[in-house]
Amino acid sequence: MLIPNHPHDERLSALASGETDATADATLTAHVASCTRCTGLIDELGALRAALADLPDVAPSRPLRLLPAVESAPASAADRLGGWARRFFAPVLASGAAIALVGVIGTAAPSMSGQASGPDSGGDTFGTVAQEEAAASEAAAAAPSDAAAGGAPAAAESLRSAAEPLADSGELSAVTASPMAAYEAPDRSSDEREPASAPTTISAERSPWPMVLFAGVALMIGALVLRWILVPRAS
Amino acid sequence: MADAPETTPTHRTPPLPDEAAVIARAAAGDRMAFTQLMEHYQSACYGLAWRLLSDPDRAADATQDAFIHAYRAMGSYRGGIFRSWLLRITANASYDILRRAQRRPSSPLPDPEEGAPELPDLGAVNPVAEATKSELYRHLEVALKRLPEDQRTAVVLCDVYGMDYNEVAAMTHSALGTVKSRIHRGRLRLRELMAEHRELFSA
Repeated sequence: MLIPNHPHDERLSALASGETDATADATLTAHVASCTRCTGLIDELGALRAALADLPDVAPSRPLRLLPAVESAPASAADRLGGWARRFFAPVLASGAAIALVGVIGTAAPSMSGQASGPDSGGDTFGTVAQEEAAASEAAAAAPSDAAAGGAPAAAESLRSAAEPLADSGELSAVTASPMAAYEAPDRSSDEREPASAPTTISAERSPWPMVLFAGVALMIGALVLRWILVPRAS
Repeated sequence: MADAPETTPTHRTPPLPDEAAVIARAAAGDRMAFTQLMEHYQSACYGLAWRLLSDPDRAADATQDAFIHAYRAMGSYRGGIFRSWLLRITANASYDILRRAQRRPSSPLPDPEEGAPELPDLGAVNPVAEATKSELYRHLEVALKRLPEDQRTAVVLCDVYGMDYNEVAAMTHSALGTVKSRIHRGRLRLRELMAEHRELFSA
């Protein structure tokens, strides 16, 4: 008898393979028992499964190595260490070389650029700026002493000229600028005693590049030494 | 489907006559005994790898990988059907290669839609296989290759090699429900693909 409203085919496949949730489903089994279409499908799936389970073994396409080579025998701890050393040697050596190269470039670049530009350009630029700042601060420092000596109008005039750029941009009045300028002046003037040489000295002392170069070389040497120690050599 | 078949199908390699003794020697480190076992089961392992990977070279690689794993694991073999144990190792090795190939689109597996796959000599193990059976096997292999990869893997492991749903789920890192669904959909698709050769089943 062919009846409508067949269960989903996947449910029939589940029933064909004896899944418990399908075999315990009374509605499903009752339908299948009275439906030729579903019984036929289950029979076909059963025949298909039987044929699949009977598919023959297949001869290899090429001769296979049946026994692993001696070196792939169960690895000892030393072998494993050697394996790790061998695996990481090239990347670590390459990283060391890269770091060392960065160190070399970083170390050499400032002195090379210094030679290229010469004492006239680099030194002079800094010197000019420093001289201008020194001039400005001297003018500002002169203001309070002039005021103390009683030359108030002249002092106010010189102060205004010194603070003019600031006042123009930041609405700074001459009265508030005066004590600040007096306070900052001694520090600045002491800072500017060696305007050209001071920055060069500081940058040479704090340069990280030689350390980077050293770290890169140390990494390369370390990789070479570890490889030499850990990787077994052919005797 | 909870248990693996206890009997070896007609066209599959039967156990060695003195298998237990050979396994014991291999487990104790006898390389000749191990070679004897692998030589005996190489067609079984290669067949599984070939059905999963659809590529003779990769199947050979997977089979050799499986032998290396088996060699290392011989000491931990704890009885049971040796063939099933070895096939599980082969399935894992094949699945690893399958996953690696999928992660590297530059070296894809053969496209089953591009014509019929090249079939090995299926009569090699049993030269007296009936012509009708050979014909059925040939069409089945072609139909298997045309299944989507996830369905083919599930059907091959479950229906061809008798692994249970839980084993297939663990091997393919999939949920149990997903595996069941793949198997059922795969079987129904196979039935459609085999529709024009239905008479071969009754022979």
